[in-house]
Amino acid sequence: MPTPFPFRRREILRSLVGGSLLMPGLLSELLADSQGKNEADPLSPKEPHFPAKAKRVIFVFSNGGVSHMDTFDYKPELFKADGKKTGSGGGLSNQQRVLLKPLWEFKPGGKCGTLVSDLFPNLRECMDDICVIKSMNGNDNEHYNATLGMHTGSFFFSRPSIGSWVSYGLGTVNQNLPSFIALSPQMPYAGTQIFNNDFLPAYHQGVRVIGGKEPIADLARRTPQAGLQELELGLADVLNNRHLQARDGDTNLSARIRSFETAFHMQADAPEAFDVAQESKETLAMYGLEPGKSEGFGWQCLVARRLAERGVRFIELVDGSSSNNWDQHGNMAEHADHAKGIDKPLAGLLTDLKNRGMLDDTLVVWTTEFGRTPGVDGEKGRGHHSACFSSWLAGAGVKGGMTYGSTDEIGATVAEDGVHVHDFHATILHLLGIDHTRLTYRHAGRDYRLTDVHGRVVKACIRS
Amino acid sequence: MASSCYSRRVGSGFERSNAGRSRTHDSSNRRGVRGIRILANPATDFSMERHSEILVRLLAAFVLVLTSHTAALGAEELPTFFRGLNLNGPSVHIDGNVWDGSNSKQYVCKDNSFENQAVTLIPPTDPERATMIRSSRYGGNRVELNEVLPGEYTVFLYVWEDNNAETYSVFINGQQVTANHNSGVTGHWDRLGPWYTKATKDQKIVVTSQGGTANFSGVEVWKGKYDGFNTSISDEELAFFEKRIRPLLANKCYECHSADSKELQGELLVDSRATLRRGGAKGPAVIPSDVEHSLLIKAVRYDDSDMQMPPDEKLSEAEISDLEEWIRMGAPDPRSHATKHFGKQIDIAAAREFWSLKPISNPQVPQVRDTAWPATDIDRFILAEQESKNLSPAPDADKRVLIRRLTYDLIGLPPAPEEVASFLADESSDAFAHVVDRLLDSPRYGERWGRHWLDVVRYADTAGDNSDYPIPQIHRYRDWVIAAFNRDLPYDEFVRDQIAGDLLGGATEVERQQRIVATGYIANSRRFGSRVDDYPQHLTIEDTIDNLGRCFLGMTLSCARCHDHKFDPITNRDYYGLYGIFASTRYPWPGIELDKQQRDFVPLVSADQQNELTQAATAHQKEQSRLDQEVTDLQATLKKAGDAEKENVKQKLKEAEKLADKHRRQPPLFETAYAVADADNHQDAAVQLKGDPAHTGDIVPRHFLTVFGGQELPADCNNSGRLQLADWILSDDNPLPARVMANRIWQHHFGQGLVPTPNDFGKQGKRPTNPALLDYLATQFRSGGWSIKSMHRLIILSRTWQQSSVRQPQAITEDPSNDTLTGFPRLRLDAESIRDSMLALGGNLDLSPAGPHPFPEQHTWDFTQHKPFKAVYDTNRRSVYLMTQRIQRHPFLAIFDGADPSTSTAARLNSTTPLQALYLLNDQFVHEQSRLVAERILAHSDENNVRLNFAYELLFARPAAGEEVTVGQKFLIDAAALLKNTGLSDEQSAQESWQACVRSLFRLNEFVYLD
Repeated sequence: MPTPFPFRRREILRSLVGGSLLMPGLLSELLADSQGKNEADPLSPKEPHFPAKAKRVIFVFSNGGVSHMDTFDYKPELFKADGKKTGSGGGLSNQQRVLLKPLWEFKPGGKCGTLVSDLFPNLRECMDDICVIKSMNGNDNEHYNATLGMHTGSFFFSRPSIGSWVSYGLGTVNQNLPSFIALSPQMPYAGTQIFNNDFLPAYHQGVRVIGGKEPIADLARRTPQAGLQELELGLADVLNNRHLQARDGDTNLSARIRSFETAFHMQADAPEAFDVAQESKETLAMYGLEPGKSEGFGWQCLVARRLAERGVRFIELVDGSSSNNWDQHGNMAEHADHAKGIDKPLAGLLTDLKNRGMLDDTLVVWTTEFGRTPGVDGEKGRGHHSACFSSWLAGAGVKGGMTYGSTDEIGATVAEDGVHVHDFHATILHLLGIDHTRLTYRHAGRDYRLTDVHGRVVKACIRS
Repeated sequence: MASSCYSRRVGSGFERSNAGRSRTHDSSNRRGVRGIRILANPATDFSMERHSEILVRLLAAFVLVLTSHTAALGAEELPTFFRGLNLNGPSVHIDGNVWDGSNSKQYVCKDNSFENQAVTLIPPTDPERATMIRSSRYGGNRVELNEVLPGEYTVFLYVWEDNNAETYSVFINGQQVTANHNSGVTGHWDRLGPWYTKATKDQKIVVTSQGGTANFSGVEVWKGKYDGFNTSISDEELAFFEKRIRPLLANKCYECHSADSKELQGELLVDSRATLRRGGAKGPAVIPSDVEHSLLIKAVRYDDSDMQMPPDEKLSEAEISDLEEWIRMGAPDPRSHATKHFGKQIDIAAAREFWSLKPISNPQVPQVRDTAWPATDIDRFILAEQESKNLSPAPDADKRVLIRRLTYDLIGLPPAPEEVASFLADESSDAFAHVVDRLLDSPRYGERWGRHWLDVVRYADTAGDNSDYPIPQIHRYRDWVIAAFNRDLPYDEFVRDQIAGDLLGGATEVERQQRIVATGYIANSRRFGSRVDDYPQHLTIEDTIDNLGRCFLGMTLSCARCHDHKFDPITNRDYYGLYGIFASTRYPWPGIELDKQQRDFVPLVSADQQNELTQAATAHQKEQSRLDQEVTDLQATLKKAGDAEKENVKQKLKEAEKLADKHRRQPPLFETAYAVADADNHQDAAVQLKGDPAHTGDIVPRHFLTVFGGQELPADCNNSGRLQLADWILSDDNPLPARVMANRIWQHHFGQGLVPTPNDFGKQGKRPTNPALLDYLATQFRSGGWSIKSMHRLIILSRTWQQSSVRQPQAITEDPSNDTLTGFPRLRLDAESIRDSMLALGGNLDLSPAGPHPFPEQHTWDFTQHKPFKAVYDTNRRSVYLMTQRIQRHPFLAIFDGADPSTSTAARLNSTTPLQALYLLNDQFVHEQSRLVAERILAHSDENNVRLNFAYELLFARPAAGEEVTVGQKFLIDAAALLKNTGLSDEQSAQESWQACVRSLFRLNEFVYLD
C-alpha cells in the first residue's frame, strides 16, 4: 500500500493550521479520525432480506448469441437431421427450414457427467460445480434488445442494470472501490446502458473498466507530485471543514468532504486491484495469461477474482463487443475462436476461486443474449434464437453437477421447465438473499423492480 | 294475459332504468348512446300480436324517456335483417331469411372462387348453411356491399378452413374488428361477429382481411345492433324472465357484472343474452337447458370454494331454483343487444375531489402575527404556515450571498466581481430588482431555464434506436426552447406551439417556421429497435404520451397503456383516445439500421417555394440515382472487361465515382426541421389489449381525458386533433398545466417544488407542502398572462427567497426537511453550472451562437447496432449545447447527475460519489481551467494576499477572511517549496502553486453549493 493519506493528512493539516492557532476548534475536529463516520452512506453494506448464499457476483456475458446446441445442450437428433427440411413454427422462421448439425462432439465432464461440446474442454472439467440451465428464453431476437433485457429485465426501455440493483440492495464492503465494476474493454450491444444505474442513484452506476494504463476514467493522479495533490487536499480539507462548521454540520457537505478521501484512496487501491503483476506464474497459467500481459479475457477473469477478494459486490465481465462476437450467421466454425478465448480463463477462474475457498460465497454466472437457430442461416451459420438458449450458474449456493430444463429434439423450443430472463434474475437475486419482489425503487409514480411483474426463483438449482 | 304482462314489464323496466341511471348518470351522458335496453326478439316471428307488444314496449320506453331528466337517453331501434350474401353460390335461406346469391348487383368482390363440398364441417350445421359455407372466395379478401343506406348495422362474416389453419385479421370499413383469427382445422367454420358499424358516406360496408388467406363464405348484415342469437321467446317465458330473473340479476349481479359496473369482475357481463352465454374468464355462464354445466348455477350454489356468487351472501333457495328453472326452460332471454364494459368508470365528481384536479382556488392571503416580516403575499403564505408550527424565518441573506445565489439561479453562471461590487454599491431600495431585470434580459437566462425544460422533455441529439442515429436538425428545437424563454413566450403559447405549432400557421413566415420547429417536441420522442417493417411505432407513441402527461399535466398517462390506471382516474380508453391523435401524426424518420435515410423531415421553406423546391429535390435525387447506377454499371463492366480495355474502364469508373460523390456532397436545397406534420390518414385508434398492438379491441374515438370532460373532436375534424388536444390541455377547466408549471418554476428557485414530485400530481405523487401557496402561484401565473419571467420576479422578490440558508436550531429540529422554508435550502450546482463556471472563470467560455453539432456527413452514415453512432464533441460552449446522445450518456453529465436523455427528468439527483471527486482531482479539463484561472489571478496583482482575495471574489463572490488568507498563503509557500524541490524555477513554482490552489478551491463545497 502507498503512504496512507490519514498520516500525511495530519501532518499537512498541522502545517497549514496548527502553528497559526487561528482555528483551534477546527483543528481538533480535523485531526479526529474521519473514518467510520459513514452514517446514511448509500453504499454502506445492507442486510439482505434473508440469509444469503452468495456475497458477490461475477457475471460473465458473452456477446452475440452463443449457440446452445453447439455448446451445452446436446441434441443427438439434430446431428442425424443435418440437411433435413423442417416446417416453420416453434421458433423457426420460414427461412430456416434446413437443419444444420452441430460441428463439435459432446463428451461428459466431471463426476456428474454433464455433456459439454469440445468447444469447452477446460470448462467441461468444472461441471461438478456448474448448473447448466438449458431452458433459458427471452423476448427479443435483436442483439440490442436482448442484451438490454438480459441486463435490465427490460427489452426496450432503459432501466437500471442488474449490477446497479444489487448495489442498491446490498451496498458494498469496500468503500475505496466502486460497488459495481464492469470489465468491458470493448463496448457491448446497447452500450453503457447495460451498466447504467438509470433511475437509481448514481452511487450504483456500473464503473466501466477498459484495462490498460488508466482502467477507470480520471483514476490516475494528474498532479505529477504526489505531495502536491496531498497539499491540495489538505487545503480543501481545512477550508471545507471551516465552511461546514458554520453550517451546522450539513450531512451533504460532510459526505462530499469524505468522497475526496475515498477518491484519493481509489487512486492507489484501484490500480493495485487491476494489476496482475503480483500474481504467481502458476496462477497466470491457470487463466491462460502470459506473464506481463494485461489484456484479454484471461486478464478480465483474473481481475474479477482480485476485485472479488477486495469486496466488490458485482463484477461483470463482457466477452467480445458489439462488432466482434459470437454472432455467426455465416459460418458456425468461427464459434471455435470465441470459445477458445474464454474456455481456459473461465475454468481458471472457477478453479482459482475454489482453491481459495471463495467459490463458497461467490456466485459465477455465465450467459449470453440468446441462442442460435437449429436451422441454417447463410451458408453454414445460425440465426438469432431467443426461444431457447443455455446459461450456467456456479458457486455460492448453486447445485453443481446438474442441468435444469430441456429443449425439444432439435433445440428449437423449450420442452420443459422454461427459465425466462426474469426467472434467471429472480434466481440470482435469491442467491444473494434478496426477494426480487421486495427489491423496489419508487420512480415516476410507481415501484419498479428488476423483474417487473414477473420472475420465478428456480429453486431446483439451489442447494438447500 | 298480455296487458298484465305489459304493465309488469313496464314497471320492472322503469325500476331498472331508474336504478341504472342514478348509478351511471355521468357515464351515460358521456357516451351519449346508452339507452334503455328494450326487450325484443328481433329475429323472427313478427306476428301482429308480437308486433303490437313491441310497440307497446317502445311506447313505454318512450314515455320513460320523456319523463326522465337524462338528456341522452334514447330508445334503441330494433335490429332487423338487412341483407345476406352467399359469396359463391345461389340465393339461399339461412335462419329463415333469404340471402342473395353471388349474382347480386349490390356488392363487389373480385376474389377467386373456391368450393369443396366434400369436407365435413366442424361443428355440423344445417345443409343449406353448410353448402353456403363450403363454397367461398379467397385471394383479395375484399367484399364491398353497396347501396347501404345511412345508419347503424351489425355485420357477421362466415369463414371456414378447407385445409391448413391460417391466421388473419378482419376489418370493417378499414377498422380492425378481429385480430389474428385462427381458422382452425380442416372443416372448421365460424360466424364471426357481431360487429357494429355504420355505412360509409358512399353507402358501403367494406369487409377485408389481412394476414393469412381467409375463405369468405358469406356476409350477414342486420340493421341496428343485434347480438346474433336467433331464439324465440314465448310470452310465458318472457314473463318469467321479467318477473323472476331480470330483477334477480339486476339486484344481485349487475354491480360487478354489467356494462355499468365500476370495475368488471371475472370479465363476465350478465346484462345481455350474448355476454351471459359467451361467459367470462371461466367460460360460458349459461348453457341453455343444461343446469349442471352452467357456471352461473355452480356459482350461486356455492359448490366451488373459488367461485361463490354473490360473494356477500348466498341467494335464497327460492332464487336459486328460479335460476335453475330458467336454464331448464332454455334460458329465454329478450336482452338482444350484446353489452360491453368500457373499462373503469370514472366518477368524475369524486375524482375531481382529489387535490390536484380541483379547480384552482384563488386563496385568500392569510393573516400573520408578525406583520413586519412579509414583503410580499408569498411571504404571508409561508409565514402563516411557519407560525402555525411555532417556527420563524431565518434572517435575510447578505448581499454577497444573494447576488451569487441569484446569478446562478437565473443564468447558471457566477457573478463577475464587478457585478458584485456594483450591487453592493447600489443602496437604493430596488437595487436587487435591478439585478433581477439585468439577468432576465441576458441571453444567458434562456440557456439556463431552457435547460430545465429540456430535462423534462428528455431532449437528445440522437434518436435512441439501436444504432442511435444522429439528428443534426433537432438543435433547432433546442434553440427554439432557449429563445422562447428569452423572449418570455407566454406559457400557453409555448405549450400550444410544441403540440400543434405546425397547424397554427403564423403572422409571418418566420413565425410559421418557428412553430413548425416547436413540434420538434413531439418528433423528439424516442425511436426503438433496428427494424423497419415491424417498427414498433406504438412504443414511440407511448413515449410521446408518457412525456406529454408528465410534462404538461403531471400525470402518468402511460400507466393506462395496458390497463386502466391503478391509482389515477385515467382509463385504458383515455390512453387510446390520445393515442389516435398521435397515430394520426406523421413523425419524421431519423434513420435506423435497416433504413438509414432521413425522411419526412419538414422543409423550412415558404409555402410558395415549397412545390418548386420539392420538385428540385426529387430531381436531385433522381440525378443521384442515375449517377450511382452509372457507377454500378461500370463496376460490372470492369469485372467482365478483358485486359485490353480494363484500364480504360477503370478510368471511366473513377470519373463516374467522382461525379456521383460530388453530386452527393452538394448542400441540401433547403433546410429541414425535425418536426411533425399531420399524417395523410387521420383516424381513431383501437385499444391494444394489454398494450399489445397485435391484439386490438374497440376503436376509441380520439378524445381528451374523461376526468376533464372527455371532449371529442368535432365531426368535421379533418386533422390529427393535436390542435384540439392543445386547447383541451389549456382549457380553463383544467387546473393542471398552471399548477404543474408554477410548481416547476418554484422548484428551480428553491431546489424542491411545493409538490416534491413535479412530474406526478397523481395519487402516487406527493402532496403539496403548501397547497394554498401553490394555488396562489397558479392563479398569478394564469392571470399574469402565463408570463414565466413575471413568476421569477414574484418569487425572487419575496423575503422568503432572500432568507439566509443558516436556519434557526429549532427550525432544523422540528422541520428537518425544511418544508416550511424557514431558511433558504442550500443548493448544489448542477452539472452544467459546474462546467460552465469553470469555463467562465477561465475566461474561455464560448458564447457565440451554437448551431448544429459537427456530426459526420449524412451520406457517410452507416450506423448499426453492431457499430452504433457514438461521439463526444469537445466544445467550450455552455453545457446546454453539449451533444447529448439518447443511449450513451455524456461522460461528464453522467458523473454529475445530468439529465437522463431517455426519459423525463423531473428533478436532478444530487449524488455525491468518489467518481465526481476523481473528476475534480484528475480530469484534464479541471487542470486546464485551473491553469487559466491561475493566470488571471496572477495577472491581477503581485501580492498573494490580494490575489487570494481576488480568487475568492471570482469563485465565491466574497473576499477571503483573514484566516483563510493566512492558510492560503501558507499553502502557497508549502506548495511552491515542494515544486521547487522538483527542479522548477521560482516563477514556475509560483505559477504552479497557484494552479494547485485554484484546483483546491474548485473542489470546495463553497464552490459547488449555493447558500
